[in-house]
Amino acid sequence: MRLVTLEDIHAAAAAIAPHVVHTPLLSFDSSLWIKPECLQPIGAFKQRGAVNALSRIPSEDRARGVVAYSSGNHAQAVAYAAKILGMPAAIVVPNNTPQLKIDATRAHGAEVFVVGITERESRAAELVEERGATLIPPFDHPDVIAGQGTIGLEICADLPEVATILVPVSGGGLISGVATAVKSLRPNVRVIGVEPELAADTAASFAAGSLVRWDAHDRARTNADGLRAEPSELTWAHIHEYVDDVVTVTEDEIRDAVKQISRRTRVVSETSGAVPVAAYLNRELPAGPTVAVVSGGNIEPALLASILG
Amino acid sequence: MITLSQIRSAATVIAPHVVRTPLLPFGSGWLKPENLQPIGAFKLRGALNALARLENREKGVVAYSSGNHAQAVAFAARLHGVPAAIVMPDNTPPVKIEATKALGAEVFIVGITERVERAEALVAERGATLIPPFDHPDVIAGQGTIGLEILEDLPDVEAVVVPMSGGGLISGVATAIKSLRPDVRVIGAEPELAADIADSLKAGALVRWDPLKRAQTVADALRDEPSALTWAHIGKLVDDVITVSEDEILGAVADLARRARLIAEPSGAVAVAAQAKLGGAGVAVVSGGNVDPGLLARLLAT
Repeated sequence: MRLVTLEDIHAAAAAIAPHVVHTPLLSFDSSLWIKPECLQPIGAFKQRGAVNALSRIPSEDRARGVVAYSSGNHAQAVAYAAKILGMPAAIVVPNNTPQLKIDATRAHGAEVFVVGITERESRAAELVEERGATLIPPFDHPDVIAGQGTIGLEICADLPEVATILVPVSGGGLISGVATAVKSLRPNVRVIGVEPELAADTAASFAAGSLVRWDAHDRARTNADGLRAEPSELTWAHIHEYVDDVVTVTEDEIRDAVKQISRRTRVVSETSGAVPVAAYLNRELPAGPTVAVVSGGNIEPALLASILG
Repeated sequence: MITLSQIRSAATVIAPHVVRTPLLPFGSGWLKPENLQPIGAFKLRGALNALARLENREKGVVAYSSGNHAQAVAFAARLHGVPAAIVMPDNTPPVKIEATKALGAEVFIVGITERVERAEALVAERGATLIPPFDHPDVIAGQGTIGLEILEDLPDVEAVVVPMSGGGLISGVATAIKSLRPDVRVIGAEPELAADIADSLKAGALVRWDPLKRAQTVADALRDEPSALTWAHIGKLVDDVITVSEDEILGAVADLARRARLIAEPSGAVAVAAQAKLGGAGVAVVSGGNVDPGLLARLLAT
């Protein structure tokens, strides 16, 4: 299996630079900085991978457009990337998706197909077939991983003394890219994955040394709804090669981290985005300058209100 | 009047210690999120520049403020190893007093009417230097660095919308922008309930509002009024003022949390509310993010 390389990530950085925010590192306390990817226009890091993947579609295929299936940030990321690159996008969402997210995806000009939860993949495959469109997976793709890896380049450039980087883990696209970038540039920097205890399949895999599967219903117990997916063979290969450790946090620790992030850095994090800060606040981690990637900020306003109030 | 070269010099001095805030797309325009500074407000820029130019360092600095200027001076003083005494009125929220103490400043709590007197007494006793919140060229030059950054990041900017209170922020920003790009519009934003500068610009001369009247707005950092120095900059350089209602301000706070994932205080959202009325591709300066969490929770729950 070919792993993503530092060169792939450098190329991605050049391709996406005009269309993403170079997020600044924000001081949380004397040894923690956050990397606020919630400040991307769609509110999540997913924009990086989507813009890179779409920008690499050959020009002769572009008019036939792209297809993605997602109830979450990937849907908006692909819709946004398609809009700025002038390509049609069809997004398949399950019928339990909040109307707010469907509207946001449509607002980027995407065609939205609402289907039963079990029909997502088959409907997306049909659309690809009918239209000759390109499927953009949320993490299981080298161009997507390379796009997410640009976060690692930015951290190394902006905080050369960084010792540890904490990254949320779900499908593993984000940590695969970040770990590839960081370990290629700075092998001594530790890259640690963070998962909710209730969706800790990658922590179990890491302990076992090979991919361990959890039932999807078990993974769905966590409130961190962006962290319910599981790695693919491709992302697991990167995690196994580059990641130093995977730690877990509780649901209460995640909620508290959302609150602390809002108070100390004045950004809004969704629960999934706050797990690295939860790990910093509650687990024994290596000393030294640490960066927590706050991966997204698309939280239901009522939930944020209940956490802050 | 301050000059572009003073602002450029401030930019060099403060660069290692402030966040180079990015422009964030928002609606048809952009946001400059100064709430992301370490103390949660743009005030850090001016305080850092003033502290960097301080003579008589060992005698320390004094400031009076219930708000973001207190923390800005305390932060900048700690960084420069200068003792700081901050005079705060007794109606200051305990969380702000604690935050200022946590930055290593000595805090004096006094009745609201005794602030200036007490600060002057400390200056006299200690030979310390008073760092005013806006009525000082070094403070204005520090705030002006925001204008330089906006032009660097968005060379084809049409308009910049800036909240106004004492006028230090807009004086600096307008000086930077008009020196480099006289065609870019600089628009001030004020709450309707504290619209003394809007009145002044209409009258062509400084109009004073009663402090009790200005204190009605929820935008608690925008209850000040310009000095002769800041008014000189505003009268000459600001193109227009847009005033916004209390509902528009609170709506903008909720909007920023929902759509830009930024925690803004009401004062920090005033330019965003104004930009929404103005339309077009302007840059709204989100000046601060030190909001009471209970207020933000109420705004998001509805």
